[in-house]
Amino acid sequence: MRHTLTSLAAAAVLTFAGGASAWTLKEAAAPYKGTTIKAIFLDRPGYAAAQKLIPQFEQETGIKVTWEVIPYESSRERQVLNFASQGGEVDVALVDVVWIGEFASNGWLVPINKFTSDPKLADPELNLKGFFPILLESFGTWNKEVYGLPFDNYSGLMFYNKCMLEEAGFKEPPKTWDELLNTYGPKLTKPEKNQYAFALQSRRGETQSADSFMRVLWPFGGSLLNDKFRSNLMSAESQKGLEFRQQLMKYMPPGIVDYDHAEAVNALAQGNVAMITEWSAFYSTLMDPTKSKVKDCLAITTEPAGPAGLKPALGGFSLAVSSQSPAAKQAASWLLIQWLTSAKMAVPYIEAGGVSGRVDAYKGLEDKYQFVKPMVASWQGGVPDYRPRFPEWASITEIVAEWGTRIMLNEVSVKDGAAAIGQRMEAVLQEAGYYEGKKPLLK
Amino acid sequence: MATTVDPLPAEGPTEDPMGAAGPRPGRMRLSPAVWFLAPAVLALAAVGIYPLGVAVVNSLHRYNLARPNAPTPFVGLDNYVAVLSDPSFWGAVGRTFAFLALVLPAELALGVLFALALHRPGLGLMRALTRVALVIPIATTYAVVGLIGRLIFNRQFGVANQALSWVGLPPVDWLGDPTLAFVAIAIMDVWQWTPFCALILLAGLTMVPRETEEAARLETTSAWSIFRHLQLPYLLPGITAILILRTADVLKLFDAVFVMTRGGPGTATELISIYVQRVAFRVFDQGLASAQAVILLVITIVLSRLYIKFVYREV
Repeated sequence: MRHTLTSLAAAAVLTFAGGASAWTLKEAAAPYKGTTIKAIFLDRPGYAAAQKLIPQFEQETGIKVTWEVIPYESSRERQVLNFASQGGEVDVALVDVVWIGEFASNGWLVPINKFTSDPKLADPELNLKGFFPILLESFGTWNKEVYGLPFDNYSGLMFYNKCMLEEAGFKEPPKTWDELLNTYGPKLTKPEKNQYAFALQSRRGETQSADSFMRVLWPFGGSLLNDKFRSNLMSAESQKGLEFRQQLMKYMPPGIVDYDHAEAVNALAQGNVAMITEWSAFYSTLMDPTKSKVKDCLAITTEPAGPAGLKPALGGFSLAVSSQSPAAKQAASWLLIQWLTSAKMAVPYIEAGGVSGRVDAYKGLEDKYQFVKPMVASWQGGVPDYRPRFPEWASITEIVAEWGTRIMLNEVSVKDGAAAIGQRMEAVLQEAGYYEGKKPLLK
Repeated sequence: MATTVDPLPAEGPTEDPMGAAGPRPGRMRLSPAVWFLAPAVLALAAVGIYPLGVAVVNSLHRYNLARPNAPTPFVGLDNYVAVLSDPSFWGAVGRTFAFLALVLPAELALGVLFALALHRPGLGLMRALTRVALVIPIATTYAVVGLIGRLIFNRQFGVANQALSWVGLPPVDWLGDPTLAFVAIAIMDVWQWTPFCALILLAGLTMVPRETEEAARLETTSAWSIFRHLQLPYLLPGITAILILRTADVLKLFDAVFVMTRGGPGTATELISIYVQRVAFRVFDQGLASAQAVILLVITIVLSRLYIKFVYREV
């Protein structure tokens, strides 16, 4: 936290001492005019929004920005291979919430303190406190050091078809998971009409582990690990959550274990399911009349609460500067990241289809964008370590994805599957040295 | 190998028929064969032998690419022991051979049928068009085959379920059911590689002497007899090549399956290549993944030798 505070203090000092008018992006970028930097992007709405805005940055700074659009499933591999081989091909690293521990502890990212302490590069209006604290802490911070600024920000939300709910006699969406299962599920599921109450994307991969498995642990009071980094999956709360998912499957479309984000969103968009819990970023897809039949029936609320309260899914990406880039490219990359995630660009970013991490950006937008109110509520009550962010997550997510799917297919019981995950997960953590005190218990 | 060096005569004039002056004393003259083979050998060494050597070295170390600050100690055969005692590895190997046992006979049988059909005289333009059409699946990128597969076997709007509805059957979860997902990836593989088998076997059929074939047709009207005693021997070298190439292909089949199912649901379609990819490029455990790859290479070589020993025959 010390470094975060240092960064905040530095930004504050710059604001008051230097004066906002003294610093301009154009002047800051002048030494780097003509520099070309490369970013890693995904094929998602937030990146399309950034691509629309970047020409403005290029025009103002003379810095040329290129990007490579990569499927999510390959994006970590692409970057790890680049960093491990000292490839120097990535200047602006894309850091998923679950990669920050790995990228930062390997020294692949530059702490932002290097830039915020440089008056020539630090925008006096940077204002790190202007980000939702959960986003900055979760997406950009590792071991109390800030490395990245929240860029593509997600919260799990419930998207539902209010017309279908009204037809079934419901005036409002379910407030709890229990209500969804016992009250809404039976009335909204009509297999003969190919209509189902709910779809929980559960395809093997990060979708299974993050979107499906973890989603039913936290609201029921469970978690993957306890404070000592031992498996917590055999606890009564975790077991209850996992058993709940099995019961809920009878109100989901057949083949739900093959549903990725696209399938779940499409099922709602085509009117085949009444409710989904998905990332806020899919709002623009569901509101696009060329992709969605339910635009006029679409409504959004927070995810249902469990016995432990509202514990929605948390995900997203920060942008960070690669430590392997030359100094000029690092500076140019920082200027881009700082500009793209700035308070000034937050509203244009939202209007271009992105989801900003700036608190103030949403003031006055609650009525314009349905997702704003539930998303802000979710970010105010979420779990920062919804998924562990340590480097070992890459191994653990594979274990959870395999056994989580097998549990859903009834190939193993919830108890046996959870035990298998726990045993394998602890073996990974044992090898990493957490139990012998070789590594701090950071997640 | 082609590194023979011609010894120079100790003394006296050279016997160069062109009358050119011989090499100076003390210089060695490399056989022309060396120069002809050198580019191929160098290319093979660069893209095949060197990476294999690196893989073998990696397999003897603890080496995780995503832990650049961790030591990479020599661990002897520990990685091999870990692989050989890993039930997930053997599960993936079992699924791969089950997949091979499913697709290879189907591709061979269909390939023979297509080849025989195309070998019949008098089909003219139709035959020419069919030959071109056969190249399309082979030329399709694996990842695109996977995407096509996802569309064909989509539960709601896929062609496969549409076809079932035509015969009065209800839709099924091709990619959500473990058994059907396995069948679905097998169907896509058969779709892509049957034409390859057909073209190889068609080339084999064109080797049958026309006079012999005509004489055989005068001798018997049994197509089976002609195939069994005359055409099949000419097909055996092609069949051996197909067995070796397709076995190697299936052992490294990744893109299409990954795009279609990501190895799921559960582990239903987790073939060995997907398992190795997970270890190598998700976990980044290069030591373990290299040991797995070396074991796979040994399996491939053994199978290839067996195919050659039991199937291949010179005509």
